[in-house]
Amino acid sequence: MPKRPDMIQGTLDLLILKLLSLEPMHGWGLSESIQQLSDDVLRVNQGSLYPALHRLTASGWIESSWKTTESSRRARFYRLTPSGRRELARIEGHWRRLAGAVEQILQAT
Amino acid sequence: MTRRSGSQDARRGSWTSGIGFRLRALFRRRTMERELDEELRFHLDEEARKFERRGLSVEDARRESLRRFGRVDRTKEQARGAWGVRLLDDLAIDLRYALRQLARSPLYALVAVVTLAAGVGGTAALFGVVHGLLVRPLPYADDVGLRVFWSDWNWRGNELDLVREVASAWDGIAGYTIDATTLDRDGKASLVLTGLVSAELFDVLGARPLLGRTFVEGEDRPGRELALVLSHGFWQQELGGDRNIIGQRLHLGGQPYTVIGVMPDGFYFPEPAVQAWTTLDLDPASSGYRNNGWLVLLGRVRDGVAEAGVEADLSRLATALDERFDYPEAWDKTKNPYVVPLRQYLFGSVRPSLLLLIAAAALLLVMAVANVAALLLAKMADRSTELGVRAAIGAGRMRLARQLITESLVLATLAAVAGLALAGGLFRALVGRLPLAGFEQTLSLDWPILAAALTLVPLVASLVAVAPLRHLLADPRGASLKPFLAAGGRTVSGRGQGRLQGSLVVVEVMLAVVLVVGASLLMRSVLRLYQVDTGIDTAGAIALDLIATDLDEEGRRAFFDSLIERAGSIPGVRSAALTNRLPLRDGGVQGPIKVEGRPDLDGTKRLSSLWRTVTPDYFRALRVEIIRGRAFEPTDRAGSMPVAILDSELADRLWPGEDPIGRRVATSFSGSDWLEVIGVAAPVKHTEVRGPASSVIYQPFAQTVPWDAEILILEGNADPAALIGTVRSLVRELEPRVAVGRTTTMDDVLRTELAEPLRLRFFLALFGGLALAIGAVGVYGVVSYSVSRRMREYGVRVALGAERLDLVREVLSLGGRLVGLGILAGLGLALAFSFLLTRFLFEVAPRDPVSYLIAAATLGAIGIVASILPAARASAVDPSRALRLD
Repeated sequence: MPKRPDMIQGTLDLLILKLLSLEPMHGWGLSESIQQLSDDVLRVNQGSLYPALHRLTASGWIESSWKTTESSRRARFYRLTPSGRRELARIEGHWRRLAGAVEQILQAT
Repeated sequence: MTRRSGSQDARRGSWTSGIGFRLRALFRRRTMERELDEELRFHLDEEARKFERRGLSVEDARRESLRRFGRVDRTKEQARGAWGVRLLDDLAIDLRYALRQLARSPLYALVAVVTLAAGVGGTAALFGVVHGLLVRPLPYADDVGLRVFWSDWNWRGNELDLVREVASAWDGIAGYTIDATTLDRDGKASLVLTGLVSAELFDVLGARPLLGRTFVEGEDRPGRELALVLSHGFWQQELGGDRNIIGQRLHLGGQPYTVIGVMPDGFYFPEPAVQAWTTLDLDPASSGYRNNGWLVLLGRVRDGVAEAGVEADLSRLATALDERFDYPEAWDKTKNPYVVPLRQYLFGSVRPSLLLLIAAAALLLVMAVANVAALLLAKMADRSTELGVRAAIGAGRMRLARQLITESLVLATLAAVAGLALAGGLFRALVGRLPLAGFEQTLSLDWPILAAALTLVPLVASLVAVAPLRHLLADPRGASLKPFLAAGGRTVSGRGQGRLQGSLVVVEVMLAVVLVVGASLLMRSVLRLYQVDTGIDTAGAIALDLIATDLDEEGRRAFFDSLIERAGSIPGVRSAALTNRLPLRDGGVQGPIKVEGRPDLDGTKRLSSLWRTVTPDYFRALRVEIIRGRAFEPTDRAGSMPVAILDSELADRLWPGEDPIGRRVATSFSGSDWLEVIGVAAPVKHTEVRGPASSVIYQPFAQTVPWDAEILILEGNADPAALIGTVRSLVRELEPRVAVGRTTTMDDVLRTELAEPLRLRFFLALFGGLALAIGAVGVYGVVSYSVSRRMREYGVRVALGAERLDLVREVLSLGGRLVGLGILAGLGLALAFSFLLTRFLFEVAPRDPVSYLIAAATLGAIGIVASILPAARASAVDPSRALRLD
């Protein structure tokens, strides 16, 4: 397996917010989605996912609630709050500018 | 909500985030933990199921999911960190630990808390007083511009009108005086203190009434309606807060007044004792307008007028006064005109004593902090092994530091709570004992003061914490902790610490010396004051004010004549007398005198003297010695030859070396009659104990017109309280329209006159006593600590044949050295700042050697006493046991 790139700081927050903007999800679902959607390039350190989720909850950007899954187990679901949506827009824009700048430099001849 | 219903909430699917989430973490801790467990278990189960689906065995799938997850406990720890409660958790642990530490040595905790509480409480309460009197705005609009004119209580109505006409730097000038009168309700008379004010006074103050209106222009001129403005307190207490009071009539001094307004709560002018205000009668045709010098002038400086402008205006004013009026040299009003801000006028006299007291309280607070720091330091040494071990097994320096700070904070908080309780509980008693000239009722321990006290706490705490922390964290690599471990767990103490502790005690002793010097200076000053010959003997005498405003001249004479006769026959009364002003209490009633055959003492050279009307028994009642001639007799009555008695100093001044008997004088109060001098009395301190005796001319009560208020003096061996009761019913029986005002014993009059020095003495003695106690604890603490540290050494020395007496001497000399240094430093400090006390002292020099000796001796003695116990412990060392120590 090729060495996966390390997560840039703050990226995990962006990914969580982005995925939760699509639909409410529980923690495990999030870690699976990140892997699948990134074609296994990004693999979230599962242990660090939960502190991040709790931090975002405490910040008021996401909120959590206990729901029953299809397999009728209780799981904590997270979803985006309106202020989380604004935060997502903010850090998404930030990320795009950053990525664009890096891309420009890489394309320099 | 219970925890159970909380998790049911979660099951029903309510969403939480932000503050709600944090609050849950704080108050629903167990639910949060359970939910975190469940969340992670769900994750691991799903992950394991994923691997099971890929064909792994149940165990392998489980193991793989755990491997991929990483350390569960760390995840949990980090998640908890995200809840924002970590600091609180640590704090709770530190708090529990701190309380356990304090409980382990309750005596130490008690001493620390009590000394800090005394310091914090005393400072907080005094700060409240200072804030109330010197900082809080007066109950008038923008009091900065309000100024009181020179020569207070001495302006006449015609002068007021001239000043208003001439002065131009002012937005308004008003005059006022204070007068006691009677309120007649339901046939009973009670005493009311009223302010007699010119109509524009309230406008000058910028004070609005709560109900009705204040006076309008012209209401102080002839033909005025008698109008009354009530204070809030009077309105509440006497009239039950009746909101329909406006327009009603009240009878004051026998005349009907219409109530036109009520002032709001908290308003007072010029002092809280004044219950109502009515207008002056500024009638140019009346003799009072031309003759009564009794007003205080108050003005508001016009906006934009600089101090120079005010001064120029005042000198213009002086010139105008000089042109219009004829002033004698002795009290020429046109010399040195000045104005003082109203606040300074009202509180200027209490300000120095308040500042003195707050400085003393602050010294005490510093001592308490030094003392607690020394105690903490000693304890820290006892715990150095424990701290060393904890540092060695990896407790972070910051964590240790935080814990020590927590301990100090707990201590300081306990002390603050105790101190605030002390300040709150004793505030009234404390304020009542301060020399506040009647303003104590306007003060309260309100929230800014509490807030100030509460900000003092962290300050004190951090100060207390600094000492041990500096020692522990002196070097960045923790080298200071190493010796504790190197000593193999035995208690070792650095030299630096001993020195720090020693210097703290030296500081304590030094400050104690300063406070004790101050206390003994004031005590000796009060002693001197009591030795002053006032010219009267206060023992066994009482005095009652009788206000007879409602009676005409004939009625008054009849009433006072029968009163003096009846009062003289009350059992236990030896002498009964009347006078117009009470010695040691009432000043004033001073006027120019004329002397027959001394034309050189006329015009601008005329002398001034107090004027007192007395009944024959006056000199007996107060035991004023008649040096020459005779006292008044009942035969000196209206119609007989007008006579007078002078005090010996005035007589000597008027006729040096000659016999004054038979000479004649006249006063402005006795009309144009010449009074023949029939006696010379010993000088009496009529107005104040501290000043020189004032010249006085006594005239027989029977040969003068009775005033609307006279003072009855009774002397004898009756119980004062019972006697006052008897006189009250006697007055009621004789004439219900006469009110009994102030009643007092002459001893109390003297005490009141000496109130400021007495009260300052009380507080400084209190602070001095506390300082001695703190100093003793400090010396004892450091000496006894040093002894317990060296018990092994002492054991060895005794085993080797050292004299036990030598050990005693050594320990005593340790205490002696600290105390000696402290005393020297304290004496120096006290000498350097003693000039600050000058104004509070009477016939005692601020550098009075006796006071310094007393302070040095007291602290020396205390130092020895505090060292004796540890010294005894050292000399009683049992070598065999001491060597087995540790």
